[in-house]
Amino acid sequence: MTNETTRYKDILFKGIWRENPVAYQVLGICSALAVTVKMSTAIVMGLALTLVTACSSMIISSMRNKIPSNIRIIAELAVIASMVIVTDEILKAFYYDISKQLSIFVGLIITNCIVLGRAEAFALANNPLDSFIDGISNGLGYSLVLISVAFIRELLGAGECLGYQIIPSFIYNAGYQNMGLMLLAPGAFFIIGLLVWFKNSITESKN
Amino acid sequence: MSDDKNSKKNVIQFALMLSVVCSLLITGAASGLKKLQQENIKLDKKVNILKAANLIDGNNKPAKDVILRLYQEHIKEGMVNQKGQAVKTETDTNILHLYYYHTNNVIDGYILPINTKGLWGKIQGYLAFENDGQTVSGFSVFSHSETPGLGGEIENAWFRKNFKGKKILNSQNKFVSVGIAKGKVKNLPKNLQEHYVDGISGATLTGKYLSEGIKATLTKYEPLSILFRQKDLKTLDN
Repeated sequence: MTNETTRYKDILFKGIWRENPVAYQVLGICSALAVTVKMSTAIVMGLALTLVTACSSMIISSMRNKIPSNIRIIAELAVIASMVIVTDEILKAFYYDISKQLSIFVGLIITNCIVLGRAEAFALANNPLDSFIDGISNGLGYSLVLISVAFIRELLGAGECLGYQIIPSFIYNAGYQNMGLMLLAPGAFFIIGLLVWFKNSITESKN
Repeated sequence: MSDDKNSKKNVIQFALMLSVVCSLLITGAASGLKKLQQENIKLDKKVNILKAANLIDGNNKPAKDVILRLYQEHIKEGMVNQKGQAVKTETDTNILHLYYYHTNNVIDGYILPINTKGLWGKIQGYLAFENDGQTVSGFSVFSHSETPGLGGEIENAWFRKNFKGKKILNSQNKFVSVGIAKGKVKNLPKNLQEHYVDGISGATLTGKYLSEGIKATLTKYEPLSILFRQKDLKTLDN
Protein backbone atom coordinates (compact mmCIF):
# COMPACT_ATOMS: atom_id res chain seq x y z
CA MET A 1 0.00 0.00 0.00
CA THR A 2 2.79 2.43 0.90
CA ASN A 3 4.47 1.41 -2.29
CA GLU A 4 1.36 2.49 -4.23
CA THR A 5 1.21 5.84 -2.50
CA THR A 6 4.84 6.64 -3.18
CA ARG A 7 4.27 5.75 -6.82
CA TYR A 8 1.35 8.14 -7.10
CA LYS A 9 3.35 10.82 -5.32
CA ASP A 10 6.18 10.23 -7.72
CA ILE A 11 3.86 10.58 -10.75
CA LEU A 12 2.44 13.78 -9.29
CA PHE A 13 5.84 15.28 -8.51
CA LYS A 14 7.15 14.38 -11.95
CA GLY A 15 4.34 16.14 -13.78
CA ILE A 16 4.15 19.21 -11.61
CA TRP A 17 7.85 19.90 -11.17
CA ARG A 18 10.58 17.57 -12.35
CA GLU A 19 9.24 16.90 -15.83
CA ASN A 20 6.97 19.90 -16.01
CA PRO A 21 5.15 19.83 -19.37
CA VAL A 22 6.00 23.41 -20.29
CA ALA A 23 9.41 23.85 -18.70
CA TYR A 24 10.86 20.38 -19.29
CA GLN A 25 8.90 18.72 -22.08
CA VAL A 26 8.36 22.09 -23.84
CA LEU A 27 4.76 21.20 -24.70
CA GLY A 28 1.78 23.52 -24.79
CA ILE A 29 3.84 26.63 -25.46
CA CYS A 30 1.39 28.08 -28.00
CA SER A 31 -1.52 28.24 -25.59
CA ALA A 32 0.82 29.43 -22.85
CA LEU A 33 1.49 32.47 -25.02
CA ALA A 34 -2.15 33.09 -25.82
CA VAL A 35 -3.95 32.83 -22.50
CA THR A 36 -1.47 34.40 -20.11
CA VAL A 37 -2.36 38.06 -20.58
CA LYS A 38 -4.68 37.85 -17.58
CA MET A 39 -4.57 35.64 -14.49
CA SER A 40 -8.27 34.78 -14.58
CA THR A 41 -8.17 33.19 -18.03
CA ALA A 42 -4.94 31.38 -17.18
CA ILE A 43 -6.51 29.81 -14.09
CA VAL A 44 -9.65 28.63 -15.86
CA MET A 45 -7.64 27.34 -18.81
CA GLY A 46 -5.37 25.44 -16.43
CA LEU A 47 -8.36 23.84 -14.70
CA ALA A 48 -10.08 22.91 -17.95
CA LEU A 49 -6.91 21.40 -19.37
CA THR A 50 -6.25 19.42 -16.18
CA LEU A 51 -9.72 17.90 -16.35
CA VAL A 52 -9.54 17.05 -20.04
CA THR A 53 -6.04 15.56 -19.79
CA ALA A 54 -6.97 13.44 -16.80
CA CYS A 55 -10.22 12.11 -18.30
CA SER A 56 -8.92 11.53 -21.80
CA SER A 57 -5.78 9.80 -20.48
CA MET A 58 -7.97 7.53 -18.39
CA ILE A 59 -10.29 6.65 -21.28
CA ILE A 60 -7.41 6.04 -23.69
CA SER A 61 -5.57 3.98 -21.12
CA SER A 62 -8.60 1.78 -20.55
CA MET A 63 -8.75 1.11 -24.29
CA ARG A 64 -4.99 0.70 -24.70
CA ASN A 65 -5.17 -3.02 -25.41
CA LYS A 66 -7.85 -2.52 -28.04
CA ILE A 67 -6.50 0.46 -29.97
CA PRO A 68 -4.78 -0.75 -33.19
CA SER A 69 -1.33 0.83 -33.14
CA ASN A 70 -1.45 2.12 -36.72
CA ILE A 71 -4.47 4.34 -36.11
CA ARG A 72 -3.75 5.14 -32.48
CA ILE A 73 -3.11 8.87 -32.97
CA ILE A 74 -6.41 9.33 -34.77
CA ALA A 75 -8.18 7.30 -32.12
CA GLU A 76 -6.60 9.37 -29.34
CA LEU A 77 -7.54 12.60 -31.07
CA ALA A 78 -11.11 11.42 -31.58
CA VAL A 79 -11.44 10.74 -27.86
CA ILE A 80 -9.83 14.06 -26.87
CA ALA A 81 -11.85 16.10 -29.37
CA SER A 82 -15.14 14.54 -28.30
CA MET A 83 -14.33 15.17 -24.66
CA VAL A 84 -13.53 18.80 -25.34
CA ILE A 85 -16.67 19.38 -27.40
CA VAL A 86 -18.89 17.78 -24.78
CA THR A 87 -17.23 19.89 -22.07
CA ASP A 88 -17.82 22.99 -24.17
CA GLU A 89 -21.50 22.15 -24.71
CA ILE A 90 -22.00 21.53 -21.00
CA LEU A 91 -20.30 24.81 -20.11
CA LYS A 92 -22.50 26.68 -22.59
CA ALA A 93 -25.64 25.17 -21.14
CA PHE A 94 -24.93 25.45 -17.42
CA TYR A 95 -22.09 27.92 -16.96
CA TYR A 96 -22.74 30.33 -19.80
CA ASP A 97 -20.74 33.20 -18.32
CA ILE A 98 -17.62 31.13 -17.78
CA SER A 99 -17.88 29.68 -21.24
CA LYS A 100 -18.18 33.15 -22.70
CA GLN A 101 -15.08 34.21 -20.84
CA LEU A 102 -13.12 31.23 -22.11
CA SER A 103 -14.41 31.76 -25.65
CA ILE A 104 -12.04 30.04 -28.04
CA PHE A 105 -9.76 28.57 -25.39
CA VAL A 106 -11.95 25.55 -24.73
CA GLY A 107 -11.66 24.56 -28.37
CA LEU A 108 -7.94 25.20 -28.21
CA ILE A 109 -7.52 22.43 -25.64
CA ILE A 110 -7.87 19.94 -28.52
CA THR A 111 -4.75 21.30 -30.13
CA ASN A 112 -2.80 21.39 -26.90
CA CYS A 113 0.14 19.06 -27.30
CA ILE A 114 0.13 18.13 -23.62
CA VAL A 115 -3.10 16.17 -23.91
CA LEU A 116 -1.94 14.15 -26.89
CA GLY A 117 1.62 13.99 -25.54
CA ARG A 118 0.53 12.40 -22.27
CA ALA A 119 -1.82 10.02 -24.07
CA GLU A 120 1.05 8.86 -26.28
CA ALA A 121 3.81 8.82 -23.70
CA PHE A 122 2.00 7.60 -20.62
CA ALA A 123 -1.59 6.42 -21.08
CA LEU A 124 -0.74 3.83 -23.75
CA ALA A 125 1.68 2.06 -21.40
CA ASN A 126 0.04 2.40 -17.98
CA ASN A 127 -3.18 1.49 -16.21
CA PRO A 128 -6.18 3.86 -16.13
CA LEU A 129 -5.74 5.07 -12.54
CA ASP A 130 -2.06 5.90 -13.02
CA SER A 131 -2.93 7.65 -16.27
CA PHE A 132 -5.62 9.68 -14.54
CA ILE A 133 -3.14 10.83 -11.89
CA ASP A 134 -0.54 11.54 -14.56
CA GLY A 135 -3.09 13.69 -16.40
CA ILE A 136 -3.88 15.62 -13.22
CA SER A 137 -0.23 16.18 -12.40
CA ASN A 138 0.68 17.36 -15.88
CA GLY A 139 -2.37 19.62 -15.94
CA LEU A 140 -1.32 21.12 -12.62
CA GLY A 141 2.25 21.55 -13.84
CA TYR A 142 0.94 23.38 -16.87
CA SER A 143 -1.35 25.52 -14.71
CA LEU A 144 1.56 26.39 -12.43
CA VAL A 145 3.62 27.77 -15.30
CA LEU A 146 0.61 29.49 -16.88
CA ILE A 147 -0.38 31.22 -13.66
CA SER A 148 3.18 32.36 -12.93
CA VAL A 149 3.57 33.78 -16.43
CA ALA A 150 0.13 35.42 -16.27
CA PHE A 151 0.94 36.93 -12.88
CA ILE A 152 4.09 38.58 -14.18
CA ARG A 153 2.46 39.71 -17.43
CA GLU A 154 -0.63 41.14 -15.77
CA LEU A 155 1.41 42.89 -13.10
CA LEU A 156 3.92 44.49 -15.45
CA GLY A 157 1.59 44.93 -18.41
CA ALA A 158 -1.49 46.31 -16.71
CA GLY A 159 -0.45 46.93 -13.12
CA GLU A 160 -3.15 44.53 -11.98
CA CYS A 161 -3.55 41.17 -10.30
CA LEU A 162 -6.73 39.18 -11.02
CA GLY A 163 -8.25 42.39 -12.35
CA TYR A 164 -7.54 44.46 -9.21
CA GLN A 165 -5.25 47.45 -9.49
CA ILE A 166 -2.04 46.62 -7.58
CA ILE A 167 0.34 49.37 -8.57
CA PRO A 168 -0.90 52.53 -6.82
CA SER A 169 -1.66 55.64 -8.83
CA PHE A 170 1.05 57.80 -7.21
CA ILE A 171 3.67 55.64 -8.88
CA TYR A 172 2.00 56.33 -12.22
CA ASN A 173 1.95 60.02 -11.38
CA ALA A 174 5.68 59.81 -10.71
CA GLY A 175 6.18 58.73 -14.32
CA TYR A 176 5.84 54.94 -14.19
CA GLN A 177 4.25 53.37 -17.24
CA ASN A 178 2.79 49.94 -17.90
CA MET A 179 5.01 47.80 -20.08
CA GLY A 180 3.08 47.35 -23.31
CA LEU A 181 5.39 44.56 -24.48
CA MET A 182 4.09 42.32 -21.70
CA LEU A 183 0.61 42.31 -23.21
CA LEU A 184 1.90 41.01 -26.52
CA ALA A 185 3.05 37.49 -27.33
CA PRO A 186 6.80 38.31 -27.33
CA GLY A 187 6.51 39.32 -23.68
CA ALA A 188 5.29 35.83 -22.86
CA PHE A 189 8.18 34.31 -24.81
CA PHE A 190 10.73 36.18 -22.71
CA ILE A 191 9.05 35.24 -19.45
CA ILE A 192 8.64 31.57 -20.34
CA GLY A 193 12.27 31.48 -21.38
CA LEU A 194 13.39 33.03 -18.09
CA LEU A 195 11.14 30.67 -16.10
CA VAL A 196 12.53 27.60 -17.88
CA TRP A 197 16.06 28.81 -17.18
CA PHE A 198 15.21 29.48 -13.54
CA LYS A 199 13.53 26.09 -13.07
CA ASN A 200 16.30 24.14 -14.76
CA SER A 201 19.04 25.88 -12.83
CA ILE A 202 17.32 24.95 -9.54
CA THR A 203 16.86 21.33 -10.61
CA GLU A 204 20.41 21.09 -11.84
CA SER A 205 22.02 22.52 -8.74
CA LYS A 206 20.09 19.90 -6.76
CA ASN A 207 21.58 17.10 -8.80
CA MET B 1 -1.45 -13.37 -32.16
CA SER B 2 -0.16 -10.03 -30.94
CA ASP B 3 -0.79 -8.71 -34.44
CA ASP B 4 -4.42 -9.57 -34.09
CA LYS B 5 -5.60 -6.12 -33.04
CA ASN B 6 -3.74 -4.65 -36.02
CA SER B 7 -5.48 -6.82 -38.60
CA LYS B 8 -7.35 -4.90 -41.27
CA LYS B 9 -10.67 -6.14 -40.03
CA ASN B 10 -10.00 -5.03 -36.47
CA VAL B 11 -8.71 -1.64 -37.51
CA ILE B 12 -11.83 -0.90 -39.52
CA GLN B 13 -14.05 -2.30 -36.82
CA PHE B 14 -12.39 -0.22 -34.13
CA ALA B 15 -12.44 2.96 -36.22
CA LEU B 16 -16.14 2.50 -37.02
CA MET B 17 -17.04 1.79 -33.41
CA LEU B 18 -15.11 4.76 -32.10
CA SER B 19 -16.60 7.13 -34.68
CA VAL B 20 -20.13 5.99 -33.93
CA VAL B 21 -19.68 6.27 -30.17
CA CYS B 22 -18.01 9.69 -30.39
CA SER B 23 -20.54 11.13 -32.83
CA LEU B 24 -23.45 9.84 -30.76
CA LEU B 25 -21.93 11.43 -27.68
CA ILE B 26 -21.44 14.79 -29.36
CA THR B 27 -24.82 14.88 -31.09
CA GLY B 28 -26.46 13.84 -27.87
CA ALA B 29 -24.77 16.61 -25.92
CA ALA B 30 -25.35 19.23 -28.61
CA SER B 31 -29.03 18.54 -29.27
CA GLY B 32 -29.90 17.68 -25.69
CA LEU B 33 -28.49 20.91 -24.33
CA LYS B 34 -29.54 23.15 -27.22
CA LYS B 35 -32.63 24.52 -25.52
CA LEU B 36 -30.74 25.53 -22.39
CA GLN B 37 -28.00 27.14 -24.45
CA GLN B 38 -30.41 29.17 -26.54
CA GLU B 39 -32.13 30.40 -23.41
CA ASN B 40 -28.77 31.52 -22.06
CA ILE B 41 -28.00 33.38 -25.27
CA LYS B 42 -31.38 35.13 -25.24
CA LEU B 43 -30.91 36.17 -21.64
CA ASP B 44 -27.40 37.40 -22.37
CA LYS B 45 -28.74 39.55 -25.21
CA LYS B 46 -31.20 41.16 -22.83
CA VAL B 47 -28.44 41.74 -20.27
CA ASN B 48 -26.39 43.56 -22.87
CA ILE B 49 -29.31 45.68 -24.06
CA LEU B 50 -29.86 46.68 -20.43
CA LYS B 51 -26.16 47.38 -20.01
CA ALA B 52 -26.16 49.70 -23.03
CA ALA B 53 -29.07 51.57 -21.49
CA ASN B 54 -27.16 51.80 -18.17
CA LEU B 55 -29.88 49.84 -16.40
CA ILE B 56 -27.22 47.34 -15.34
CA ASP B 57 -23.90 48.66 -14.07
CA GLY B 58 -20.40 47.56 -14.96
CA ASN B 59 -19.65 43.88 -15.41
CA ASN B 60 -22.43 42.74 -13.08
CA LYS B 61 -24.99 40.18 -14.01
CA PRO B 62 -28.05 40.21 -11.77
CA ALA B 63 -30.33 37.25 -11.16
CA LYS B 64 -32.51 36.05 -14.01
CA ASP B 65 -35.81 37.36 -12.65
CA VAL B 66 -34.31 40.82 -12.08
CA ILE B 67 -33.09 40.90 -15.66
CA LEU B 68 -36.44 39.85 -17.07
CA ARG B 69 -38.30 42.39 -14.91
CA LEU B 70 -36.01 45.26 -15.91
CA TYR B 71 -36.31 44.29 -19.55
CA GLN B 72 -40.07 44.07 -19.38
CA GLU B 73 -40.42 47.40 -17.60
CA HIS B 74 -37.94 49.49 -19.52
CA ILE B 75 -37.22 48.05 -22.96
CA LYS B 76 -39.46 48.02 -25.99
CA GLU B 77 -38.49 46.56 -29.31
CA GLY B 78 -39.30 48.62 -32.37
CA MET B 79 -38.84 48.92 -36.10
CA VAL B 80 -38.41 52.00 -38.25
CA ASN B 81 -38.33 52.53 -42.00
CA GLN B 82 -35.55 54.35 -43.81
CA LYS B 83 -37.03 57.74 -43.02
CA GLY B 84 -36.87 56.93 -39.34
CA GLN B 85 -40.62 56.57 -38.95
CA ALA B 86 -41.89 53.78 -36.73
CA VAL B 87 -43.57 50.93 -38.52
CA LYS B 88 -45.56 48.05 -37.13
CA THR B 89 -44.82 45.30 -39.55
CA GLU B 90 -41.83 44.30 -41.59
CA THR B 91 -42.96 45.68 -44.96
CA ASP B 92 -39.69 45.43 -46.85
CA THR B 93 -36.09 44.44 -46.35
CA ASN B 94 -34.92 47.95 -45.48
CA ILE B 95 -36.64 47.96 -42.12
CA LEU B 96 -34.28 48.77 -39.25
CA HIS B 97 -34.62 47.16 -35.85
CA LEU B 98 -33.97 48.98 -32.62
CA TYR B 99 -34.94 49.14 -28.96
CA TYR B 100 -36.41 52.01 -26.99
CA TYR B 101 -35.73 52.38 -23.31
CA HIS B 102 -38.40 54.16 -21.38
CA THR B 103 -39.75 54.97 -17.94
CA ASN B 104 -43.53 54.62 -17.82
CA ASN B 105 -43.76 54.96 -21.61
CA VAL B 106 -41.76 58.21 -21.73
CA ILE B 107 -38.83 57.51 -24.02
CA ASP B 108 -35.46 58.04 -22.33
CA GLY B 109 -33.53 57.06 -25.42
CA TYR B 110 -32.96 54.40 -28.03
CA ILE B 111 -30.60 51.49 -28.50
CA LEU B 112 -29.15 50.50 -31.85
CA PRO B 113 -27.81 47.03 -32.57
CA ILE B 114 -24.22 47.18 -33.82
CA ASN B 115 -23.27 44.35 -36.11
CA THR B 116 -19.83 44.64 -37.64
CA LYS B 117 -16.74 42.73 -38.51
CA GLY B 118 -13.88 42.72 -36.07
CA LEU B 119 -10.32 41.55 -36.43
CA TRP B 120 -11.10 37.83 -36.12
CA GLY B 121 -14.85 37.63 -36.51
CA LYS B 122 -18.16 39.37 -36.05
CA ILE B 123 -18.66 41.88 -33.26
CA GLN B 124 -22.25 42.22 -32.10
CA GLY B 125 -23.22 44.84 -29.59
CA TYR B 126 -25.52 47.69 -28.70
CA LEU B 127 -25.05 51.45 -28.69
CA ALA B 128 -27.55 53.50 -26.72
CA PHE B 129 -28.42 57.18 -27.17
CA GLU B 130 -30.19 59.70 -25.01
CA ASN B 131 -33.41 61.13 -26.36
CA ASP B 132 -31.61 64.21 -27.71
CA GLY B 133 -30.48 62.05 -30.63
CA GLN B 134 -26.81 62.88 -30.32
CA THR B 135 -25.41 61.94 -26.90
CA VAL B 136 -24.24 58.38 -26.42
CA SER B 137 -25.51 56.95 -23.17
CA GLY B 138 -23.91 53.53 -23.26
CA PHE B 139 -22.32 50.72 -25.18
CA SER B 140 -22.19 46.97 -24.73
CA VAL B 141 -20.86 43.96 -26.57
CA PHE B 142 -22.93 40.83 -26.89
CA SER B 143 -20.60 38.59 -28.83
CA HIS B 144 -17.16 38.86 -30.39
CA SER B 145 -14.16 36.72 -31.25
CA GLU B 146 -11.39 39.23 -30.56
CA THR B 147 -8.17 38.23 -28.79
CA PRO B 148 -8.91 37.87 -25.08
CA GLY B 149 -7.02 40.43 -23.01
CA LEU B 150 -6.45 42.65 -26.04
CA GLY B 151 -9.35 43.27 -28.45
CA GLY B 152 -11.55 41.20 -26.16
CA GLU B 153 -11.44 44.03 -23.64
CA ILE B 154 -14.17 45.78 -25.65
CA GLU B 155 -16.71 43.83 -23.60
CA ASN B 156 -15.31 45.06 -20.30
CA ALA B 157 -16.79 47.86 -18.23
CA TRP B 158 -13.67 50.07 -18.23
CA PHE B 159 -13.75 50.32 -22.02
CA ARG B 160 -17.51 50.57 -22.39
CA LYS B 161 -18.03 53.29 -19.79
CA ASN B 162 -15.94 55.74 -21.82
CA PHE B 163 -18.69 55.93 -24.43
CA LYS B 164 -21.07 57.62 -22.03
CA GLY B 165 -21.54 61.30 -22.85
CA LYS B 166 -19.77 61.24 -26.21
CA LYS B 167 -21.44 63.17 -29.04
CA ILE B 168 -22.06 62.08 -32.61
CA LEU B 169 -22.48 65.68 -33.77
CA ASN B 170 -19.69 68.24 -33.96
CA SER B 171 -20.00 71.88 -32.95
CA GLN B 172 -21.51 72.73 -36.38
CA ASN B 173 -24.18 70.08 -35.76
CA LYS B 174 -22.78 67.86 -38.49
CA PHE B 175 -22.78 64.07 -38.10
CA VAL B 176 -19.30 62.74 -37.28
CA SER B 177 -20.04 59.48 -35.40
CA VAL B 178 -18.02 58.22 -32.42
CA GLY B 179 -14.85 56.22 -32.77
CA ILE B 180 -12.12 54.46 -30.88
CA ALA B 181 -8.93 56.48 -30.64
CA LYS B 182 -5.49 55.05 -31.27
CA GLY B 183 -4.10 55.52 -27.79
CA LYS B 184 -5.56 57.86 -25.22
CA VAL B 185 -8.22 60.46 -25.95
CA LYS B 186 -6.36 63.12 -23.96
CA ASN B 187 -3.62 63.12 -26.62
CA LEU B 188 -6.10 64.08 -29.35
CA PRO B 189 -6.86 67.65 -30.45
CA LYS B 190 -9.47 69.31 -28.20
CA ASN B 191 -12.22 69.48 -30.83
CA LEU B 192 -12.05 65.71 -31.44
CA GLN B 193 -12.04 64.60 -27.83
CA GLU B 194 -15.78 64.35 -27.46
CA HIS B 195 -16.08 62.02 -30.45
CA TYR B 196 -13.52 59.45 -29.37
CA VAL B 197 -13.03 56.93 -26.57
CA ASP B 198 -9.71 55.57 -25.25
CA GLY B 199 -8.27 52.84 -27.43
CA ILE B 200 -6.86 49.53 -26.23
CA SER B 201 -3.11 49.11 -26.56
CA GLY B 202 -2.33 46.06 -28.66
CA ALA B 203 -5.77 46.13 -30.26
CA THR B 204 -5.58 48.95 -32.77
CA LEU B 205 -7.26 46.95 -35.52
CA THR B 206 -10.19 45.89 -33.37
CA GLY B 207 -10.73 49.56 -32.60
CA LYS B 208 -10.51 50.48 -36.26
CA TYR B 209 -13.08 47.91 -37.36
CA LEU B 210 -15.41 48.77 -34.50
CA SER B 211 -15.20 52.50 -35.31
CA GLU B 212 -16.03 51.78 -38.95
CA GLY B 213 -18.91 49.52 -37.98
CA ILE B 214 -20.36 52.07 -35.58
CA LYS B 215 -20.13 54.78 -38.19
CA ALA B 216 -21.86 52.63 -40.83
CA THR B 217 -24.66 51.73 -38.44
CA LEU B 218 -25.16 55.30 -37.26
CA THR B 219 -25.31 56.53 -40.85
CA LYS B 220 -28.13 54.08 -41.53
CA TYR B 221 -30.05 55.18 -38.46
CA GLU B 222 -29.31 58.88 -38.92
CA PRO B 223 -32.89 59.74 -40.08
CA LEU B 224 -34.20 58.38 -36.79
CA SER B 225 -31.62 60.32 -34.80
CA ILE B 226 -32.69 63.48 -36.64
CA LEU B 227 -36.27 62.90 -35.53
CA PHE B 228 -35.04 62.57 -31.97
CA ARG B 229 -33.07 65.81 -32.29
CA GLN B 230 -36.22 67.59 -33.48
CA LYS B 231 -37.96 66.31 -30.35
CA ASP B 232 -40.59 64.55 -32.43
CA LEU B 233 -40.34 61.39 -30.40
CA LYS B 234 -41.29 61.55 -26.76
CA THR B 235 -43.62 58.78 -25.80
CA LEU B 236 -44.27 55.26 -26.94
CA ASP B 237 -47.44 55.29 -29.00
CA ASN B 238 -48.94 52.20 -27.44
